[in-house]
Amino acid sequence: MPEDTPSTPRIEIEAPPETYEAFVRLFVAHEGRLRGFLRSLLPDWDDVDEVMQETSIVAWRKFDQFDRGTNFMAWSAAIARFESLKHLRRMSRDRLVFNDEILDLLAEESLEETDTLEAHRLALCKCLEKLDPRQKELLHLAYQPGVKFHEVAEKAGKSAQAFYKTIQRLRASLLECAEKHMRKEAHA
Amino acid sequence: MNQSRTDFLIAGWLNQSLSKEEFAELELVLRSEPDVRKKLRWEVNLDSLLREQASVAASLNAWQPEGGTSQSRHATKRRVAAWVPWAAAAALAVLGIAAFALMNRGNSGSQGGLVLQGDSIGPALASATEETDRGCAIITNQWNTEWLDNPPPMRAGDTLNAGRFELGCGLAQIEFFSGAQLLLEGPAVLEIVSPWEAICTDGKARVRVPPPAQGFRLLTPGMKLVDLGTEFGVHVDSAKGEGEVHVFEGEVEAHPETGKMVSLTEGMGLKRMGALYSPMDAAPADFASIDDLKDLAGKMARLRYDEWSTWSQQTKSDPRLVACYLFRHWQDWDRLVNNAAGNDKSRNGGAVGARWTQGRWPMKDALEFKRPGDRVRMKLDGEYEALTFACWVKVDGLDRRYNALLLTDGYETGEPHWQILEDGRMMFSIAYPDDGNSEKKVNQIYYSPVVFTKSKLGRWHQLVVTYDNCSGEAVQFVDGREVSREISPLYQPGRKIVYGACEMGNWGLPTKEHQFPVRNLNGCLDEFLIYSVALDPAAIRQMFEIGKPQ
Repeated sequence: MPEDTPSTPRIEIEAPPETYEAFVRLFVAHEGRLRGFLRSLLPDWDDVDEVMQETSIVAWRKFDQFDRGTNFMAWSAAIARFESLKHLRRMSRDRLVFNDEILDLLAEESLEETDTLEAHRLALCKCLEKLDPRQKELLHLAYQPGVKFHEVAEKAGKSAQAFYKTIQRLRASLLECAEKHMRKEAHA
Repeated sequence: MNQSRTDFLIAGWLNQSLSKEEFAELELVLRSEPDVRKKLRWEVNLDSLLREQASVAASLNAWQPEGGTSQSRHATKRRVAAWVPWAAAAALAVLGIAAFALMNRGNSGSQGGLVLQGDSIGPALASATEETDRGCAIITNQWNTEWLDNPPPMRAGDTLNAGRFELGCGLAQIEFFSGAQLLLEGPAVLEIVSPWEAICTDGKARVRVPPPAQGFRLLTPGMKLVDLGTEFGVHVDSAKGEGEVHVFEGEVEAHPETGKMVSLTEGMGLKRMGALYSPMDAAPADFASIDDLKDLAGKMARLRYDEWSTWSQQTKSDPRLVACYLFRHWQDWDRLVNNAAGNDKSRNGGAVGARWTQGRWPMKDALEFKRPGDRVRMKLDGEYEALTFACWVKVDGLDRRYNALLLTDGYETGEPHWQILEDGRMMFSIAYPDDGNSEKKVNQIYYSPVVFTKSKLGRWHQLVVTYDNCSGEAVQFVDGREVSREISPLYQPGRKIVYGACEMGNWGLPTKEHQFPVRNLNGCLDEFLIYSVALDPAAIRQMFEIGKPQ
């Protein structure tokens, strides 16, 4: 069978329930970070969804090889990285895909930075809470599932431009706020 | 690059609104700027969080009972409704763009152009625009030729389109795509009309026509010759208004401008003087033959080879050489790629997979790399201040994203990599640790402009790169000419260059966790010199002049 053919999911049901529970707990706890990690390698969120699926299946299948005392993020990210490379090779090449050298750099650095990225995420959450309801609503609108932001923003003429700019400004202020937050925590 | 530009590129990448050019620009900064990579990760972090929250908000809304009184939910619904037509229109617009792109692909295909954009020419695009060629014939061999009115190089292997070719002197063997073979003896003028037709307006030509090319027409002033599967010669002197046809074998139909068609068989000839045609005997000895050309070309190659051989004998004792691979096939140990510099056996290379073949001259060996496993492994000890890689390579295709010339096994501190990119650019790079963080690597990369075009494939070229750790400057050369000169912004003085285990033509033993990217060279190597200094352009030019095949 060619390497690129997606494998049929075969979930072993013989595993004891506690193993399954341990896996689900770990996987769910790291899902957000894994998704972010994958998004830095893949062209869009739909690709992330696909690769996440494969990753979860492979990770479950190999879960007995995982040493519980070690870092689940590093372990599952190694799987996710391999699955994303497989995915990138499979998909049509005229999409905008980073070359191998950049993929390697991004993946390596993401793993090195796992903890920083998690702290960044927490800081972002806090900053999001500080936004007023109208701003939150705008963000929800822009990032609601199934809608491609640029498609919406592009077509709408002037008001889309304005919408786009508002979102970009909000993003910038959130990133800035998170950075400040992290600096403060580092010095505390 | 300024902050707002990188912000724009990253935002565009997240929105999938980047053009191919912009994406290439983003790749370029990502490759060289760790801060931009960090910025990208943080933006992704934010993006993923916003998406998560929006999807949670959406599902919460869905759970609210019908007729709920939440002000914000109503507001959201209204806004969503207002956006829906835009989304639909946008989707249509996207379809329109796709259709337009498809039409464009069709057009560029019919014009015969294959446009390389940045790094990414996908197989999908390539198959949609199958490359076309207007060629009619190929120059397969030549000796001492001087082509007039044609831009150099006119070399063996060149495809000839329809058009006029003036040969000042020498012999050129031209093979038409129909199968007809023509030997042109300078001075001569030949006009190629199609794979089936040519006009010799001046000089001597000898034509040999195998059965599948029967019907090949050679026109001379005042006479059309249709070949019926044979060998014949023409001699045209346009100044005197004279022409001759000599049939050496088989049969030729001669159609004089005035008068009836004449059938000429072996030993017969026809001479034209102005409007007068008269029979004559064929004189094969007056025409050079393919064998003559072979002999002459062979002698020329011998001379070139001897000159190079003398040079290489002297050069291999140059103390500045780290290694000198001349690619001599040793019968007793077929896999040995001998290091001729300083008789240092520890730097001998070992061929894996690669097969021995003919090099730049018939008397010179080369190694051919074809399969993903083919390579030459070696181990080079020591630390260096500078380097020059100089090789003779025949590239048959740029099949991989990276096509290896010389790569160290890992890509550790101070280790250089030298490759040709899929799009025809040369790429030299060297890795060093980041000052702030010894775990991180800084990748000093140097790209040349596109130098490998279709016309450069399948023939021997000299490639050279020099790098100096006192200046951080890398200079790249193709056929003795400088093609790029650059100092990396990431350069810092005093960093050593090291090699360790490395290989030519592949990258086979990457570090742990790598996915074994396939980077094998599709082509041949017949000389590879590694110096501990950056040679100056004059020395490189001289190496090219001595090493060039013709």
